[in-house]
Amino acid sequence: MKNKLLSLLCVSTMAVSLFTGCGSGQAAGGRETADQDGGKQEPEENTGGKESQEQALVTLKTVSMFGGTDPNAEAYQTINEELMAENDYITIEDNSQTSDEDWKAAVAADFSVGNEPDVLQFFTDATADSIVATDKLVSVEEIRAEYPAYAQDTLEAALAASANTDGVSRAVPTTGYWEGLYCNKDLFDKYNIELPTDWTSLETAIRTFQENDIIPIAVSLNNVPHYWIEFLMLYTAGEEGYTSIPKTAPAEWVKALELFKTLRDMGAFPEDTDTVDDAYAGQLFRDKKAAMQLDGSWYAGQIEDMEGTVVIAFPGVPDQQADAASMIGGVSSGFYITRKAWEDPDKRDAAVKFVMAHTSQAGVQRYWEATGAVAQAATQVNPVDGATPFAESIAAYTSSASLMVAPTDARIGDAYKTLVAQIVKVSTGAMTAEEAIDLALEKYAEQYGE
Amino acid sequence: MLYKKKWPALLFVLPGLLFLLIFLYLPFLENIRNSLYNMKAVVELPGSAWKFIGLKNYRRLLWDPDLRTAIGNTLKMMALTVVFEVGFAFVLAVLVSNVKRLQQAFRTVYFFPVVISATAIGLMFKLFYNYNGGMLNQLLNAVGKEPVNWLSPARAFGMVAVPILWSYIGFYFVILLTGLSDISEDIYEAASIDGCGRGRQVFYITLPMMKPVFATCVTLAVTGALKVFDLPWVIVPNGAPQGLTHFLGTYMYQQTFGLNDYDYGSALAFMIVVMGVVAAGVVGFFTREREV
Repeated sequence: MKNKLLSLLCVSTMAVSLFTGCGSGQAAGGRETADQDGGKQEPEENTGGKESQEQALVTLKTVSMFGGTDPNAEAYQTINEELMAENDYITIEDNSQTSDEDWKAAVAADFSVGNEPDVLQFFTDATADSIVATDKLVSVEEIRAEYPAYAQDTLEAALAASANTDGVSRAVPTTGYWEGLYCNKDLFDKYNIELPTDWTSLETAIRTFQENDIIPIAVSLNNVPHYWIEFLMLYTAGEEGYTSIPKTAPAEWVKALELFKTLRDMGAFPEDTDTVDDAYAGQLFRDKKAAMQLDGSWYAGQIEDMEGTVVIAFPGVPDQQADAASMIGGVSSGFYITRKAWEDPDKRDAAVKFVMAHTSQAGVQRYWEATGAVAQAATQVNPVDGATPFAESIAAYTSSASLMVAPTDARIGDAYKTLVAQIVKVSTGAMTAEEAIDLALEKYAEQYGE
Repeated sequence: MLYKKKWPALLFVLPGLLFLLIFLYLPFLENIRNSLYNMKAVVELPGSAWKFIGLKNYRRLLWDPDLRTAIGNTLKMMALTVVFEVGFAFVLAVLVSNVKRLQQAFRTVYFFPVVISATAIGLMFKLFYNYNGGMLNQLLNAVGKEPVNWLSPARAFGMVAVPILWSYIGFYFVILLTGLSDISEDIYEAASIDGCGRGRQVFYITLPMMKPVFATCVTLAVTGALKVFDLPWVIVPNGAPQGLTHFLGTYMYQQTFGLNDYDYGSALAFMIVVMGVVAAGVVGFFTREREV
């Protein structure tokens, strides 16, 4: 009898523990979801579209790359909380993570099995091609037909820049990015060197720093040579040649990548550039062991010496085809509304409200300030007070850019990684630049069936 | 016949079988299928169907120079693990088995690297090897020598092999020490009475009687060498420099998750499984007890 009682107790405990997971879920903010409550409440405000009558409780499933250690994460969460406070019928179930390959794969997997979120903050370039092909994302034009105020604060240029590769605008962006040459100006002053403005002055700077045991350029060719690939190709091939997608390696691209070997032979890179990672290369620059580093606007947040560091335009290459001060940059991500949310009468309005809260002038101002007020904002932004010499140099650089063009990976997607993986070999002469480019173009043709 | 009713046994085995089927065999079959298609993403999305490419990825395996480096390094690592991990572990085990005092302390010390995370060991060695301010170059600097690029193409493989071998010696040491303790002291005593010295006892008693244990250790070492991944990936990611430190595991990972070449990565994964089965079979053949 005692054993039977014990068995009964064990079985009932197990059953209780199993069913615990099936209980009522608590969403973000600790409020009960609409489905469980079933009640109806009045929305507090409208989105400029249809007049809302009785508004059902709505649970929005959202996914973004503003999670984890991303500098935008705090602003993103704050806007979400404010949106829920202002619209108590909306509950946000957010699943944000920092962007990496696993995260991209998880997003793709959700789209493949019909488990896509209601609102997605994702890439807009070739990275999004496979998701765009599912036809599960609603275009801005379609949304504006019902909600004319949708993305009204967003600059038209930013909206156009964030169009997908098929030319259709589906995402509403917050901030963009730029890439530029970070210089330890104090080192330039110490060794009496002018900041480089062309290839000749870049060569002079490299030689002088090398003679003084300073690493001229901090870069990890094994990990992140991307910025150098981009600027060398843009300046050597010019805008038209750079933005084309050729079948085989064009002479200008080959000439551009051959400069890796030229720079390496000059001693421009760290001795261990083939093995160190990007974080280590960045540390060399910030520790003043290296004089220059080509990087993106996201790197600005790591700069501590705001007085002795400046950002300038890429100096140039021999016989360059691009205008001076041409810049790599653009907008590569934004907020999408999925067809699943759009076709759900209860969720449509909430999804629009969500995107508008994040992409309005006030929302973008927050993201812009959260990333150091140095990125390209997708709306008008109010300048922050007390700009440092570092921030001033960025403002001068970005405002004087003669051209802004998106990097190669925005056009050829994953095939670009094949090119990046060969740069160490190209820089040592173990592989020709032509072979490396052809490998990447072959991969592109396979991927896009051309 | 131990039990009349078979179904309770089946009931207990079923969860394990289902687990293996769902998480091992089905993904393995799926992986073979994937290697025959041009995968555009990690999953097949509506609107972007994968194209059947047949054995294209397997033909590519034959002509891939980086794969040849990876296979070469893996084979070298197999030989090194047998010689240095199992060999050195055996020497240590024999020495420790002859120690009367502090034997437990020696066991703990030699086994300790096995319990440290490979990532931590990798990071530690990465800091040793750093050109700018790494420990080894600081030591050289202290004696007035020029810094050395420890991970240059000429040195990189050796520098990566050292921590891999070092970190697993303790594992084989414990297995071999346990094997040694199973040999009866009476045999050694009888040999001593017959005038056999310590050195000859190792060759004529210990080694022959440890053959089954050696077979286990060599099988584990050889198949383990096929799985080398974490340490080289932390010390020299992407097979740096120039793909010279790629092993099969790191190369497959780079192709699959670094370059997003999922279908080629699937072909590489299948090849690694085949190589593992072949390697285990070869080791089994050479270490099998033969009837005289």
